[in-house]
Amino acid sequence: MKHTLNRRELLRLLSAAGLGAAFSRRAVADEIGTAVTNAPVPESKLVPSSTRPRYPAVLSGGKVIQPERPLAVAAETDVLVVGGGPAGFAAAVAAARAGVRTTLVERYGYFGGQWTGGLVLLVISSHARENGQLVKVLRGVGDELLERLTRIDGAVVNQAPGRHNPTSDPEATKFMMDEMIREAGVKVFLHCWVADVVMEGAALRGVVFESKAGRQAILARVVVDATGDGDVFAAAGAEHEQRLHAIGLVHRLGNTDRADAAQLKEAGIRSLGALEPLPSVKWVNLRGPSTDCLDVAELTRLEMEHRRSIWKRVQQLRKTPGGEKLFLLQTAPQLGVRISRLLAGTHQLTYAEARQGRKFPDTIAVGGAQNAQHIGWPIPYGALVPRKLDNLLAAGRCICVDEKLIEDMRLIASCLTTGHAAGAAAALAVQARCRPREIEIPRLQKLLRDQGAYLG
Amino acid sequence: MNHACDENPSRRRWRQAGRWLALAAALCLAWPLQTGSWTSVILPALSPHIAAGATLAARSAGIIGLLALPVSILILVFPRWFCRHACPVGLLQEQIEKLRRSPAPPWRRAPLLGRWMLLATLGGACLGYPFFLWLDPLALFNGFVNAWRAPLTGAALLAGIGLPLLLLLDLLLPRLWCQRVCPLGALQELLALFRRRLRPASRCETASEAETASAKGWTLARRGFLAAGAGAAGALGLGLGRERDPLPLRPPGSLGEDRFAGVCVRCGNCAQACPSRIVRPMLRGDLAGLLTPTLSFERDYCREDCHQCGRVCPSGAIARSSLQEKLRQVIGPARVDLDVCLLANGRECTACIQRCPFRAIALKTTQDGFATEPAVDLARCVGCGACEAVCPTRPARAIRVTARPGRLPVQPIPSASVPEREPTPNTPSIKS
Ligand SMILES: Cc1cc2nc3c(=O)[nH]c(=O)nc-3n(C[C@H](O)[C@H](O)[C@H](O)COP(=O)(O)OP(=O)(O)OC[C@H]3O[C@@H](n4cnc5c(N)ncnc54)[C@H](O)[C@@H]3O)c2cc1C
Repeated sequence: MKHTLNRRELLRLLSAAGLGAAFSRRAVADEIGTAVTNAPVPESKLVPSSTRPRYPAVLSGGKVIQPERPLAVAAETDVLVVGGGPAGFAAAVAAARAGVRTTLVERYGYFGGQWTGGLVLLVISSHARENGQLVKVLRGVGDELLERLTRIDGAVVNQAPGRHNPTSDPEATKFMMDEMIREAGVKVFLHCWVADVVMEGAALRGVVFESKAGRQAILARVVVDATGDGDVFAAAGAEHEQRLHAIGLVHRLGNTDRADAAQLKEAGIRSLGALEPLPSVKWVNLRGPSTDCLDVAELTRLEMEHRRSIWKRVQQLRKTPGGEKLFLLQTAPQLGVRISRLLAGTHQLTYAEARQGRKFPDTIAVGGAQNAQHIGWPIPYGALVPRKLDNLLAAGRCICVDEKLIEDMRLIASCLTTGHAAGAAAALAVQARCRPREIEIPRLQKLLRDQGAYLG
Repeated sequence: MNHACDENPSRRRWRQAGRWLALAAALCLAWPLQTGSWTSVILPALSPHIAAGATLAARSAGIIGLLALPVSILILVFPRWFCRHACPVGLLQEQIEKLRRSPAPPWRRAPLLGRWMLLATLGGACLGYPFFLWLDPLALFNGFVNAWRAPLTGAALLAGIGLPLLLLLDLLLPRLWCQRVCPLGALQELLALFRRRLRPASRCETASEAETASAKGWTLARRGFLAAGAGAAGALGLGLGRERDPLPLRPPGSLGEDRFAGVCVRCGNCAQACPSRIVRPMLRGDLAGLLTPTLSFERDYCREDCHQCGRVCPSGAIARSSLQEKLRQVIGPARVDLDVCLLANGRECTACIQRCPFRAIALKTTQDGFATEPAVDLARCVGCGACEAVCPTRPARAIRVTARPGRLPVQPIPSASVPEREPTPNTPSIKS
């Protein structure tokens, strides 16, 4: 559509632009993060050069130098949760419900992380087995989400008494996470990528994030690192372990009900994929090579190679007798990164401890077992607390556990419960005006229980 | 244990006191206060019968075999010394007999079953299968005590049923066991015959002994030869028949399946000593293997820091080996059923890989890259069952230890692939 400006419009535009330039930083900062903005936004505006203060990096002496610059503070908050995956979602809801100002920053446009954007739809480790009895260890915020999904037709399966490891629909999950975050009163920043931290001496005071609005800061009393990759604690210089792990890409197949399983089996295809609440759709896991997810070149290569091999494979399936009607519904919006950085916490929870079911005085959650066939294991608060760095707690798949146990702790149910615990603990630290490592454990445990969590 | 000879009462009283003491000692040995104590091996190992049969069958003598030496000397010097002075089973039988209203006459007319069985045992032993070794009274006694030490289950009780059966038999047919059936008694009689060659019969010989002694040596030798030959032939037959599938899983270091059921005396020590409680008396399969120890990895596995079962085995059915040696003894290879395996079906499960103390399971990606499977490295897998115990699929486990081929001896895996031991030496058991 062609649009020509008349003179009046042009004048109006120019004056609006001048106004914008006058308090540009504040205005932009205020617009993000508020759910509804009623500020009059001109349909179009001409931006003359130099209306915004600019601090471009400078090429000087063959080096790229980032000059010192002031940053706009987009928000000041009590608890700041970085990353809106299962862990971050639960942390934000728990903290806000505990009554502190809570802010959540997510680099993509939706919540759920690997669970929704990674299309990893099966919530493993929701239960454990004690004396032959099925015990639900996934309770609290995460369980509430799944329970609410049961009231939507076709949103979740296997979320019922006697069942374990529910599978949810990604769109329903995103929607319900939005609802719960909104109800809890969490201030949200989507499309904001946390790139650095704000330090005052050795103390963490907030984060710096990038967005379409440029680089801005959020100040917080306590930060919960739920980025999965420990982006925040790494930037803050906390001790951590860096691991390589398999990186895959999940895809979904459509029309699976119209495939002939017996015929496909003859061709050596054991299963088409995992169950989904949607009819005739399956999600297909992919392990992929073990590599470094902190290397952008690797991520780029894998994203493209995985997509190509998925494409080829689905074409192959369509040529296989029995699989002609299948089609590729979707590849996951998010690459399937499993493990990268693990915090060095005040307690490293080990595989041996978990198998023994070792009890801790500071238990904040209970881990569930694959297929609910073994005892659950208490998870101590120390696995979330950095050794030295203050004002930060880790949650989800980047907490302090050993190489073997992380294979269990990275599963969605455990991320939901450690996230819940981290959010509640952060809120308590704010309320008690102390460092997270100093909070009274019995108070934390009481708060968690009051919020429906399971501590054994 | 015939008291036909006169014995002055005070001597007899002393002897009785000694026998009660022996019973108490036997109980203490069979039930050491400390669980996992190796001393439970002593009682059954005292029996020259077990020592002879097992040594012949295994074709090697261990240090444990020496335990039978003192008793062997004593029974060589004093006829039926063991029955008269030490046997706990005999003493118990005498007590049981007191329950009878009328003291029935001692059993005299039955054939000398024990002797033929002993000869068959020794003959079979030469070919690796000592048939009736398990009838040893000390093994039966030990098995009975062990049955009560284990958590009470039907199988445990069944494993200890030998002694109660004997006592019942004694109530119905008094002295039949002691005089005609007991192979340890028969061994002593044979030795007595042998001794008589060396010096004249002692005053205290029983009528039955005198009777047999008078039998012509020649006949005896011929019959003995026949019995032993029958035993050997039977052993051969049994050994050949032992190729069937599925073979039971045996404790690490066990003899080949062709000999195991013969050499094992069912004393129950291995099951009792196992800290993971994976050794169970076998109830299925053929009669020959009844109550022999077999392994179940349903709840726990054969720990990498333990070699108890071999240390308490009195007969050498399970080899006595150092921990380092034991870590190389293969119970059997673990195998994966890919149709059941969660990982192979796209699920994020690596339970077996995480658990394996020997790092013997690796991830293998199929050619098209879309399936990942656990692959067992047979050069490293000893079949400890940790993977099976932890495997979360039900009802069938996706990974299972299968028995090694029966007639093969233990195949030691090369020492190069012995694991770096787990960082935690005392690996906790898997609780479910
Ligand atoms: C291929 C694959 C298959 C899996 N299969 C299963 C399964 O079947 N069942 C199961 O239970 N688990 C499975 N998992 C594991 C599980 O999905 C994840 O470990 C779990 O989702 C982790 O939750 P999290 O909240 O800790 O991290 P994530 O889910 O990774 O969420 C992190 C969030 O933080 C955001 N973020 C990251 N960095 C920044 C930043 N710098 N600034 C702002 N936001 C940021 C991300 O966008 C994301 O939303 C699988 C994982 C993979 C990769």
